[in-house]
Amino acid sequence: MTLTVRQIRTLNRICWTISLLVVAIPFVFPFLWMISSGFKSATEIFGQPSLIPRVWRWQNFVEVFEYQPFARQYFNSLYIALAVTALTLVFSSLAGYALARMRFAGAGLLMLFLISALMVPEEVTIIPNFFLIRWMGLMDTHSPLILLPVFGPHGVMATFLMRQYFLALPKELEEAGKMDGLSRLGIWWRIALPMSRPALAAVAIITFLFSWNLFLEPLVFLSSLELFTLPLALSNFTDAYGLPLWHLQLAATSLAVVPILGVYLIAQRQIIESFALSGVKG
Amino acid sequence: MKAARKSLVVPALMALGMMTTTSLSAEELRFTVWTGSDAHLAMLNGIAESFKETHPDVTVRFETIPAADYTQKLTFQLAGGNPPDLGWIMEDAAPTFGAAGVLMDLGPALRGIEGYGLEDFSPSAMGLWVDGEKVYGIPFSTSPFMIFYNKAMFDKAGLEDPLALAAKGEWDMDKFQQVSKALTEANPGKWGFEFKDGQGYDSRIMHALMPPIRAYGGNAWTNGECGFDDPEAVAAVQQLHNMVFKDKSIVPPGEQGDYFSGGSAMTINQISRASKMPEAGFEWGIAPLPSGPGGESPVIGQAAIVVFDQGKQKELAAEFLAHMTNEENVATMAQFFPPARQSVLNSDAFTQSNELISAEQMARVSDAIAKGKVLPSHERSPQILAAMAPRVDALWKPDADVAKALEAVCAAVQPQL
Amino acid sequence: MAVPATDKNSARFLRVPRLALKHREAVEAWLFVSPILTGFLIFFLGPLIAVFFYSMTEWNLLTQQAAFVGMENYADALSRNPDFWHVVRNSLIFAAGLVPLNMALALTLALALSRPFFGVVFFRAVFFAPVVTSAVAWAIVWKFLLQNEAGAVNQILAVVGIDGPNWLREPDWAMAAVIVTRVIKMVGLNMILYIAALQTIPRDYEEAARLEGASNWQIFRMVIWPLLAPTTLIIMVITTIGSFKVFDHIYLMTGGGPENGTLVLAFYIYEQGFKFFNVGYASALAMIMFVVVMVLTIVQLMLRRKDMQ
Repeated sequence: MTLTVRQIRTLNRICWTISLLVVAIPFVFPFLWMISSGFKSATEIFGQPSLIPRVWRWQNFVEVFEYQPFARQYFNSLYIALAVTALTLVFSSLAGYALARMRFAGAGLLMLFLISALMVPEEVTIIPNFFLIRWMGLMDTHSPLILLPVFGPHGVMATFLMRQYFLALPKELEEAGKMDGLSRLGIWWRIALPMSRPALAAVAIITFLFSWNLFLEPLVFLSSLELFTLPLALSNFTDAYGLPLWHLQLAATSLAVVPILGVYLIAQRQIIESFALSGVKG
Repeated sequence: MKAARKSLVVPALMALGMMTTTSLSAEELRFTVWTGSDAHLAMLNGIAESFKETHPDVTVRFETIPAADYTQKLTFQLAGGNPPDLGWIMEDAAPTFGAAGVLMDLGPALRGIEGYGLEDFSPSAMGLWVDGEKVYGIPFSTSPFMIFYNKAMFDKAGLEDPLALAAKGEWDMDKFQQVSKALTEANPGKWGFEFKDGQGYDSRIMHALMPPIRAYGGNAWTNGECGFDDPEAVAAVQQLHNMVFKDKSIVPPGEQGDYFSGGSAMTINQISRASKMPEAGFEWGIAPLPSGPGGESPVIGQAAIVVFDQGKQKELAAEFLAHMTNEENVATMAQFFPPARQSVLNSDAFTQSNELISAEQMARVSDAIAKGKVLPSHERSPQILAAMAPRVDALWKPDADVAKALEAVCAAVQPQL
Repeated sequence: MAVPATDKNSARFLRVPRLALKHREAVEAWLFVSPILTGFLIFFLGPLIAVFFYSMTEWNLLTQQAAFVGMENYADALSRNPDFWHVVRNSLIFAAGLVPLNMALALTLALALSRPFFGVVFFRAVFFAPVVTSAVAWAIVWKFLLQNEAGAVNQILAVVGIDGPNWLREPDWAMAAVIVTRVIKMVGLNMILYIAALQTIPRDYEEAARLEGASNWQIFRMVIWPLLAPTTLIIMVITTIGSFKVFDHIYLMTGGGPENGTLVLAFYIYEQGFKFFNVGYASALAMIMFVVVMVLTIVQLMLRRKDMQ
């Protein structure tokens, strides 16, 4: 009897695993096909389908850089994402700390006010922001791509995430800090922040990816090729006449996606937990 | 509190540091184009270089915006207060930009230049770009659509090529259909014909539909009346539809049959595309569009150079435009872009200007320019195209009723006219 | 549902005897929130108010000429322009397809992956991977895979003997394709939220039910599902709102076509504003979108409050 139960369990487990493997196909296949197509020639890409390219065209990856200032665009995305992440960390943890730990008139109202922004899609404000950025003379610069995410709904979300985390922290250390004569800022910097590493890491990860993947804002605010960010550059692999250059586009997409996937696979647990934290708050 | 301020100031400074914009030197002209071709850019830079003879400190920076997004990106730049000084614009954007007042009137500047010869540009070519005394652009490319064919695939099917057929006067729409079918059958897995750059169902609806419609004697619209549901247009589109879905000789929607890599035996394009042929690796040629019941009716795609009215160096930009479109430089550009200057067009220099295309075939190009009409355009082109697109999508189905679909196109387009 | 915290916790620590200190604390607090607040007012609230005023103008993006037209743009959208209702319909179909599919798949995967077993880490990583991938890359690759006969999806279906549709050229299939690829892209997020919730359910509940002879389905139906209700509500609202925001996916995969079959609100706003230069009309659409999403947000907040009590 016990044996049968065990057998059933094993069978059950095998069935589950097989079904999961089947479900996993559309999750994995696009990545594999993207990378393999990135190595194919323009003609092979529409020939007999095969996951292994007949000829490995490494020069696709060279041509990507010749076609557009792709290295520059890569760098743009990277530095913008880092700037957005750094500013978001500072501003959201400051504001989150005040909302969690300090009592001030209007705090409740402020909370409500910020909450109301959480869900407003950027499409709603993109038109006035277009004129605002124009008025500020920041068209075709990277500034709007830094300012809008830091101060938009995403920044607010980060603030709430930080606030929730600060609320759950024990207060004893902070009180001790206060006894030692630390200023508020000192407490925030020396005590609260070091204790909130998981929350800071979560905000950093989510913010970095948010900025890295931003599309509408670069589309509207950037027009010079050398200022493009990666998502915009990826959508731009058509030849001078508008023909899609699939092999180059997929090679470039691989170049953009694979490093992120690599980091993700290494820090998988941390990254998934960060999203779990933010999703619950957001 | 001091500490507080300090640590707030740092990120603020960081933010400011990132905002610094790259400022242009006063003597640089920014010129947007949609070509990324090295050959084209080398030629353009050469022209800019020669401008230095009269304007030693002026440099011109050619900025490539891919054709698919060109008008949209230009709109962002103009509306965003970040206009280029000069730019190419396509015929379908001309009335829109003209009506919006974003183009500089070049009339006074060009008439003031001795020996420029504004009247050398044929009135038919200038139609889209002048309004009374005002001149909003100088066409640099008045380029007829031609049939590009793959000689090897014709030989394999044992067929006479379109140029030979045209010489015999047999190159008409029916022959075009027969030949396409025969080519498809003789070359398994390939197609007889591909729409311009394979985009006839998406971004190049007009380029796909207009040549046959005009060959049948129809038009997109005339005097505010939609013409897509006229009997001529219906017959023309019905024939295309049969070719796509019955004969299966035209690359169908969602398929790739790139002519330039040997996927189709024929395509329709302009001679600037010939620059792509050397790398294609097959014997090829160009021929006129097939004629139809309406006779010969070549279709011309036009593009012009304009100066943007918001630009800060308008006068200088206009001078460069004049330089770029003087007789000498128009002759230089003629190797890629058929000119609108009659003096150049009628010269032997033009028929011999393109080393890729024989004089015989270039003569066909001149002929088409002389007889052709520019693609339709309208002040509300973006809206018209957007209104058309979903209804044209419905047309390209195997079981579509062509007449009904075209009526729907007209119903959608009419309010915009 | 990690830390259901309240403001009461913080109040005790802040008991300060002197009024001056209290005043000082308020000033400091405002200084702490001021950077984000200032930016928020400039780049979010200001534009939000502006868009309301824009919506009452007829304003051409290119000519920059504007005229006050009152409620005309709203009247246009609601009663005169047939495209508007088509777009609303599309947005609703998109949401109605995406939300249940996403949630059902997320829950199924979460149930399968909430307990440790050999390979669990691998599967979680796989199902979550598209979440960290850029939507642009995802849409580009799927557009490539979903081409008619040359596309890999139809090539594979052909091997099994299925003649796949011309995915991105048929309005209904295009909508289905956009929904499904979006679900695959985003389902990992909901999956981990469900996993987090499942892991807070004590094993004893399940054991107790099992001792009483309950089947797996009964345990799910009677024990797990009710306990997941708060998470389900939140996920539902987040996913619904998220479905209204979809822009890049549509922009790159279908451009709103074919036959306007995937033209949804977010894309329509962009098209009207930046392609047809109708700043006023696009702003009215943006206001409508704002109201719709706001109503959903309020619903969410109400549900949350109820859930906390």
